[in-house]
Amino acid sequence: MSSKTLYTLTSSQKMMIFVLSMSLYGLSNMFTELIPSFQLGPIELSVEYFAFIPLTLCILFHPLYAAVGAALGEVIFGELMLGQFGGLGELEKFLTFSFAMYVAGRLVRNPQNRMQVGIAAMTGVIIHQLCSTLVDIGKVWIGVEEFEAVPGLAESVVLVEGVSFLNDVLFSGILFALLPTLYLVPRLYGKIEPLLGIKPRVSTTRYEAAGIISPKLVITGIVLALVAFGAESLSETDWNIGEWDSGFADRFGIGAIWLSLGIAAVIAVVTLLVLRARKNRNAQSGNVENSPYA
Amino acid sequence: MELVRNWFNKISLDRIQLELMNTAYGSGHASLSRLDPRGMLIWYLFFAVVPWFINSYLVLAGMCLFMIATTWLSRVSPFIILVLCLGLIGQVGWLFIISLFFGGDISSALPLLKLTMKLSVVSLASITVFSGMDPEKISDGLLALGVPAAFSFSLSYGYRILPVLFEEFRNVLLSYRLRGKAPEHHGVLYWRLGVYYLKLLVYAFFPLMLATAKRSRTTVEALETRGFSYGMRNPAAKKLKLAHLKLQRHDFLFLGGSALYVALLFWLNQGVF
Amino acid sequence: MPDTNRKATQSEAPLYAIEVADVTFTYPGSDQPVLNHASLTIEHGTFTAIIGGNGSGKSTLCKLFNGLIPHYYSGDFEGEVRVQGMSTLQKNVAVLSKHVGYVYQDFDNQLVRPTVLDEACFAPLNYGLGDYRQRALRALELCGLSHLQHRYIWELSGGQKHLLALAGALSLEPEILIVDEPVSQLDPSHARQVYEVLRQLHQAHGKTIIVIEHHTEFIADYCQEVCLLEQGRVLWKRPVAAALNSLEDLERLGIQPPEVTQAAALLATQPQNGYPITTEEGIRYFTELWQPSQGHSEDSQQVQADDNNPNTFIHFNGASLNYRTIRKAEQTVLHDIHLRIHEGERIALVGNNGAGKSSLMKLIAGIAKPSKGTVTVLEQETSKVSIEQLSRDVAFVFQNPEDMFIEDSVQKEISYCLKRRGYPEADATLQRMLQSFRLEALQERDARLLSGGQQRRVSLAIGAAIRPAIMLLDEPTANLDLATREELLSTLEELGHHVRTVMIATHDMQLVHRWATRVIVMHQGRILADGTAEEVFASAELVYHAGLALTQSMQLSLALGLHPACGSPAELARRLGHTFTGKEPLSHGACPQLV
Repeated sequence: MSSKTLYTLTSSQKMMIFVLSMSLYGLSNMFTELIPSFQLGPIELSVEYFAFIPLTLCILFHPLYAAVGAALGEVIFGELMLGQFGGLGELEKFLTFSFAMYVAGRLVRNPQNRMQVGIAAMTGVIIHQLCSTLVDIGKVWIGVEEFEAVPGLAESVVLVEGVSFLNDVLFSGILFALLPTLYLVPRLYGKIEPLLGIKPRVSTTRYEAAGIISPKLVITGIVLALVAFGAESLSETDWNIGEWDSGFADRFGIGAIWLSLGIAAVIAVVTLLVLRARKNRNAQSGNVENSPYA
Repeated sequence: MELVRNWFNKISLDRIQLELMNTAYGSGHASLSRLDPRGMLIWYLFFAVVPWFINSYLVLAGMCLFMIATTWLSRVSPFIILVLCLGLIGQVGWLFIISLFFGGDISSALPLLKLTMKLSVVSLASITVFSGMDPEKISDGLLALGVPAAFSFSLSYGYRILPVLFEEFRNVLLSYRLRGKAPEHHGVLYWRLGVYYLKLLVYAFFPLMLATAKRSRTTVEALETRGFSYGMRNPAAKKLKLAHLKLQRHDFLFLGGSALYVALLFWLNQGVF
Repeated sequence: MPDTNRKATQSEAPLYAIEVADVTFTYPGSDQPVLNHASLTIEHGTFTAIIGGNGSGKSTLCKLFNGLIPHYYSGDFEGEVRVQGMSTLQKNVAVLSKHVGYVYQDFDNQLVRPTVLDEACFAPLNYGLGDYRQRALRALELCGLSHLQHRYIWELSGGQKHLLALAGALSLEPEILIVDEPVSQLDPSHARQVYEVLRQLHQAHGKTIIVIEHHTEFIADYCQEVCLLEQGRVLWKRPVAAALNSLEDLERLGIQPPEVTQAAALLATQPQNGYPITTEEGIRYFTELWQPSQGHSEDSQQVQADDNNPNTFIHFNGASLNYRTIRKAEQTVLHDIHLRIHEGERIALVGNNGAGKSSLMKLIAGIAKPSKGTVTVLEQETSKVSIEQLSRDVAFVFQNPEDMFIEDSVQKEISYCLKRRGYPEADATLQRMLQSFRLEALQERDARLLSGGQQRRVSLAIGAAIRPAIMLLDEPTANLDLATREELLSTLEELGHHVRTVMIATHDMQLVHRWATRVIVMHQGRILADGTAEEVFASAELVYHAGLALTQSMQLSLALGLHPACGSPAELARRLGHTFTGKEPLSHGACPQLV
């Protein structure tokens, strides 16, 4: 159970990080869901999320468990409890968000270096926003034939997506990711770790799975994306049987969640298969490995 | 900007907490919450996916009506419906208005109406299932459908810990207010007050992170003493946990009824067009 | 109910429930061993208290019993621990937990399920036990929670949550039960309730019970054996009477013996070993020494608060407070309160949980606004000013000091408000506060990592720093060990120099007796009595009705016919001494405020 390796986390420590990240980010998500947005014309100034919470935790602790915990916290507190659960559509968010936060956490070698922390925070937000925007626009591009039937809709989609990207990166990104993270990480560093019985990470810290996760993570991501797009294209041609006329065109004009339902369904199946396989392979205790990356 | 003013004047943290708690816990008596969660999840999967592939106004409208009925049956808190409506109107409305600028006309409204109906069906279906059902049942259902045990545990743990987190958050926020200084002038549209509260909201997470870290440690340790990790490795425990799930007559009635209704819609659609 | 718990162990018949042999343990990252060659045996079916000063390794010792050490905490472990004859090194936490139940000090964080029945089912479900439901119901029954089985956990009171944590542990039907400081987080009546359940489990169901406890009154009333730890070593294990009479050891480790024992020791002409430890014993002991004239004190006339006092600070004019509860029902927690509080008063607010003490204080601080009537504080109507505004005059110190910590050092905590609000001479004030509350050495530390007493001092300094006219303290002595509590009393004196009116909500009758000039007794959202401490404690009926938990000294002096009741063992001893020598024949002698 106990390990002699210096920086290996025990399964309970992983669980603690996970629970911590889940409850905090979940709580914050309830607030951000409820904070009204300021709409100035088409530009919507909204507090998208308190990304600083998972960012801070990913930088201070093992990024994988903090990232997955936060993403799950959002699903549970921000969606399920508020009755806003988009069902399958949340999967895409779950994947891109935990991926982005994980990468941000991995970028930082030394949590006391403000430069690194700042760059990581912004990178995390940009990766997440870029992922979701690209996914959205990519889906529009595939469905563009029928899409042009409604004049002006294509432009609006690009505009809305672009504006929301800029808003999220500049407004939420700077105010609710960059600044608070810069404020919190140095203040929490060395304080919060002992509360969990974990040694603060230093620049030489290597996580036990460091060598394995990265490439696997990227590959899994790419494969999932390819599968998703492939399925999407297939649906264009083959699935138009009788009633099941694909009505994709109509929905491509709307924000990320609803658009990605189709994709998400595919991802869901893949994820479930991966999870099944994983679970059969190692039903390990304590740590929460409901991420397909791990 | 009436909304902004209302936000500060009427909506207190207490009230939000109360509404959220009502949402999360107040669903025990709804007639739909007695149904088997596995059946409900499968039912949800159907109504979350299928509408996207349907182009007929009639079928969509029929489904929409059906969803309104089930939502009503599950006695969802009005607060949630309000949030949903505002979201729908905001999203689709803006899209329509912007498309007018890019040379669209009133004819764009019709596809957008379809879009709205699809969105409504999907969201109402998820509201029916996920907020009308007891969290324990949701997590049992998910567990039965193969979602990892950690997820279903986290879900019910979330419901347990929410009031505690809220309480702590309130106290921390109160500490800031009792020792801080509110802006003397509210500013146009209360923006100063808004910024003040937003800043507090962010600052409050510093003490909260430390307090929650302390808590997670005890919780995880206690889980260990109560055989949690043992149970995760033990298939018998999962089987036992799910042994109480039984598809009963009213489950079949509900699922069968839904299927019949949808089939009827498709049949009508075929007949009309 | 038949005893079902021994069937497995009877055949093996290990000699002891727990054997600890020469265990040394060091937490990772620390160079000091927290347990240092500790050895201990605990027999089956005993009720043992483990006592010791802060950091003596009490909790660590108990974590040996269910294998958390060495399996969960990695660290340097030497020696051997056997539980029911099994070596903990060879069994994991999951197996050992079936035999050893553990209730944490912060039991609230031990509860992980939304409802009561689920919580009780949790452990047996994890073990895949088919009769989990019966086990859960049985455990709830034992803890007297059957009627609450469908409630959500957040609907329970603190005492009920503690009992539920107990039920959660009992559902596995362990032979051994460990309870970590049950009294520290509970008010006295709930703590007694928990102990009654433990006694029942011990006597009727033959469980071996181990409590970590520093309230010796509870130990005297309930435990059979006491084990004293000092710096990671088991100093001794003695039967309860002998243990609590080991006054030198207790004193050296900062543990207060029961008040009757102290009083008896103070009165004795030469040291002896057979001092009484419980109130009943005390009554017998002192009556044998001396038969008092059953002098009946004249009922002191009800002194009404002077309504014409010009310096009324706080005025409740028919104030009521309603809360909306989750089931959309309105619940009234304060009914039509009329009250005037004046400059310079030291007010103690007493009453059992749910009596409305906290709500009353929240109304004063403006945290809650009255649903009916008005509350006026220094001529400002609370419903018309913001919390930020009102808090310039009223400081509210939370029950849990950690809820007040928003900065990362003591110094910043205290100066936060001063700087925010631009008080003149903020630095001078800060220095004065640090000095007054003896925090100079701690000023750079994070307040969260301080000890309970230090945290309390910081919270008082935070409140006092803005020089409020009124200060409200919620349960300032809760969760403090007794040495720290003494320290707090002197801190309260210090507070008097900074603040004009202080109000304390408390269960601590000794504090009330020694400190307050006016006592307000609350019951079910109404004011039941309002007077001096002597007046309030003189009425047995009132004390009973309001559910006040008197200290041993008070109970004893009332039983012996000493009026007014004595607040501390020293006073009790002195007055008894006087009566023995005939200096104080009358029972209504003056009671000095502070001893």
